Amino acid sequence: MTRRDLLRSGTAAAILSPLAAAPGPQNLSYPLREIQGSLTPPDLFFVRDHFSEPELSLETWQLRIEGRVTHPRQLSFSDLLELPTKRIEAVLECSGNGTHGSAAGNAKWEGVPISFLFESAGLSHDAAFVALEGADTGRLGQNSSSFPYTQIVPLEKCLDAASLIAFKMNDLFLPRRNGFPARALFPGWYAMDSVKWLRRMVVLGRGDRHASFVDSGMDRLYNRVRLGANGMETRRLSAIQVKSAIAWPPDKMRLAAGFYEVWGFAWTGRESVREVAVSLNGGRGWEPANLQSSPAPYGWVRWRYKWTATPGEYSLMSRATDSQGNQQPLERDTARKDGYELNWCAPLSCSVR
Amino acid sequence: MALIFCASLYAGDCAPKTLTPEETQRRLNELAKSAQTEMAQHRFQQAARDLREAACLDPRDAKIFYGLGSMEAASGNFLEARKALAAADRLQPGSPLSLAMLVRVNASMGDVDSLKAALSQLAVRFATNGELHATLAQFLLQNKFSDLALAESLRSRKAGATSPQSMLDLAVLENTVGAYDDAIRNAVAIESQTALPAPVRASAAGIAGLSYESSGQREPAIAHLQKAIQLDPSRENSYLALSFLLEKAQRYGEAAAILEQGRARLPQSTALLLPLGSNLILAEKYAEGISVLQDLLRKSPNEYDAYLKLADAFRKTGASDKEIKILRELESRRPDYPQIHLLLARALLNFEPVDYSGTLDELALAEQASTPDAEIFYLRGKVYLATHRNDEAVAALQRAIELRPMDPSPYYQLGRLYEKLGEPQKAKDTFARMQYLKSNANANR
Repeated sequence: MTRRDLLRSGTAAAILSPLAAAPGPQNLSYPLREIQGSLTPPDLFFVRDHFSEPELSLETWQLRIEGRVTHPRQLSFSDLLELPTKRIEAVLECSGNGTHGSAAGNAKWEGVPISFLFESAGLSHDAAFVALEGADTGRLGQNSSSFPYTQIVPLEKCLDAASLIAFKMNDLFLPRRNGFPARALFPGWYAMDSVKWLRRMVVLGRGDRHASFVDSGMDRLYNRVRLGANGMETRRLSAIQVKSAIAWPPDKMRLAAGFYEVWGFAWTGRESVREVAVSLNGGRGWEPANLQSSPAPYGWVRWRYKWTATPGEYSLMSRATDSQGNQQPLERDTARKDGYELNWCAPLSCSVR
Repeated sequence: MALIFCASLYAGDCAPKTLTPEETQRRLNELAKSAQTEMAQHRFQQAARDLREAACLDPRDAKIFYGLGSMEAASGNFLEARKALAAADRLQPGSPLSLAMLVRVNASMGDVDSLKAALSQLAVRFATNGELHATLAQFLLQNKFSDLALAESLRSRKAGATSPQSMLDLAVLENTVGAYDDAIRNAVAIESQTALPAPVRASAAGIAGLSYESSGQREPAIAHLQKAIQLDPSRENSYLALSFLLEKAQRYGEAAAILEQGRARLPQSTALLLPLGSNLILAEKYAEGISVLQDLLRKSPNEYDAYLKLADAFRKTGASDKEIKILRELESRRPDYPQIHLLLARALLNFEPVDYSGTLDELALAEQASTPDAEIFYLRGKVYLATHRNDEAVAALQRAIELRPMDPSPYYQLGRLYEKLGEPQKAKDTFARMQYLKSNANANR
């Protein structure tokens, strides 16, 4: 083996990007402009943890499926690897991602369809929701007890053909910080439900109470809160709102006059992106951007706009519209009282001399 | 039920039974003997034909179906092989042989879904047979089904298999998928067994080292790779891996020392020479580095990266003539080497007296070989500036700016040019633009 062969081997690839366990919850993002092509490489994929990364062993890891099923199951990692899998390109976006924030990434995921697992476990006729628990545990509030990270997802979404127990990302096994060895993946939905380090799925009936979801206080997070005519209206977050982000230029950029390519990404949780428009003057005028690939459901699309920049002060904005006609709002809904779904067209300033 | 199913599978292909029980037995013996002879002579199709007839005569004998499945597989009749092996498995569900053969058949067909289904069956029915799963893991690994090899390796471990080879295979796979703690635990367990042969322990030490490095623990990584070298000094990979870690830690002298050690032990190895030369140069031991790389090129003249390392060393030692010469050698061996003409143009510009005409020729070739590259126009602008072809210099530098508007360097050259042309305001604006770009260098991309 030559040194070059060694460097090409998976082992050396691992050396090149050490992925050591972090001591506490991580909050990592990387500029979108670092992304070549349309897939986010694992080392540029955002991380939002609630608790510290758990230390998991492949030899002992298990996924339990229980609750309202006729045949509760315990799957080993070997079982997962030997079940039929599906590959899907999908965006994951943190529900609190800023307007031009980079807590979003697009990857090709591979895993076992959740519907396949539930079929073999046998769902009870009254099954309605699924509680997903990660192996990471901790306290959400200072006075609360320690619980595993838990989310509850409607059964209907779990049975969607695209919903997976994913163990690969861009053809490589999941990095530890992205949920190794396996995570849930709900394409089209905000990322908090795609529970990392998944270890247990409990099928629930309509009235069932799941302690680690309620007692931990998780039920009070990730809700859309809006002041309506009848007071506060609260609804659980689910589908990703249509959104675009300018990857380049970054905010407050100084450019010399010349030819540039303004570019970025656009995505939606509902069907696919139809078009992206760019404004150089804070939304007073819009011009179409060029989509660099065919928009597909769940994935994002890379777009570009050719700009001949002449001296002046600019306010750059991008605006996506999806195939259902949903369009990014120009401003934040003032009735919203939460910090999620930040998808309005926020301007970036740019100075050209 | 299973017997009826098996019989019905083959009934369509079988002639009606006309033999007495005694004649049937006699014919079965003849067929078995004949099939054995055919098999020994690698006439698998004939053996399969005999066994097909035998299966018709005795549709309850799992061994006949297993043999038939194996012969069909050996003949490349995979679909028939599957049918026969499935029948054998139904007749003798307590034996894993037919399913294991089915795994091989499905792997040969590249039918991953069926391969997974056969493996899942084996997992359910033979969960505690560690040796079986270890054998499957090795087969799958050899046939590049590494995910499934990992699955079987984990099953083997769970079933209690502790053979050094199976644990080592598992550690390699765990390291590859990122389960570093598991890989370290298994590898260290092998490394520390003093009764095992040194090469096996050395492999384990190597895996432990790589896993430690991947989990961000460099010192234990280095220690284990040193141990790997100590246990088996004939393993080239250990020197390469250890020197790679030391190089990453910018401990170039130590990396070179390890590679020297490897070179002394493995004088025929050429793989050690490129990193050795490279690390010697990085450690600023230019003469030694140049000597090693020249030795490498004598032995392996197609080791193209060595030419670049040598060119780099010559440039750093001010030997521009030698830099040009070695790049010319690379060009003659590999005319399409990426950016060779740009490298030559840069080298020519550094050699006094500058061959401006030769530099422009190289830049023209570089332009033909690639998409428009700002660097080509930038260097061309410098040549025109030096040779007083001012209009062409302005055009070239403006083109460089157009292609890479965020790079301050062409603005500087252009500013100088405007000064030379007696256009102070333009020069001032251009220098100001350069400063302006430099001021937000962190955000520039």
